[in-house]
Amino acid sequence: MRRYIRRFIPITFVYLASIMLATAMIPDNAPASVLTIALALVPGLAVLGWLWAMGRLLIELDDEYLRMLEVRKFLVATAITLAVTSVWGILELYAADIPRMAIFYVFPMWCVGLVVGQIVNRSAFGDQDSCHLASDR
Amino acid sequence: MKNRLKVLRAERDWTQGDLANALAISRQSINAIETGKYDPSLPLAFRIADLFDLPIEAIFLRD
Repeated sequence: MRRYIRRFIPITFVYLASIMLATAMIPDNAPASVLTIALALVPGLAVLGWLWAMGRLLIELDDEYLRMLEVRKFLVATAITLAVTSVWGILELYAADIPRMAIFYVFPMWCVGLVVGQIVNRSAFGDQDSCHLASDR
Repeated sequence: MKNRLKVLRAERDWTQGDLANALAISRQSINAIETGKYDPSLPLAFRIADLFDLPIEAIFLRD
């Protein structure tokens, strides 16, 4: 888990810095150019980095119970993301007045789903914090 | 699946942390197994059995 956090923090820094840089340097509705595409791809690479870090977490996590909890979180997040985007996509097809959802929001939605997954895990397996466990003998 | 992990641990005066360290797993795992919220894999069940020097069926019981 520590290795995951060590990977996650610099990737997050790159993501936030590149988003701020792209927002500052690229005006709204700017035409696509080599520069704008290059600037816009950097946060995308950071997202790929997050996905890689999460994949490595599942591979490197030796504890099977903790790995199961992580997998459950990922499944809950994936289910929520697929449900929202699929239903919204069908609405967009058949209801012209429905606002279009930017694909950009898919990954943040999945991350919110991870939080929901954490809550689901806690309700299914109880409070697993170390304070609770320290007194159990 | 029911198990006798908590009893066996108490007989040896081990904390959940002691057992977790001996098995190189998290204390959360021990807690989840003891409370019946999680059934360990067969390899982990064998490691637990080896640690207590008991057969698996003396630790994990049919419902």
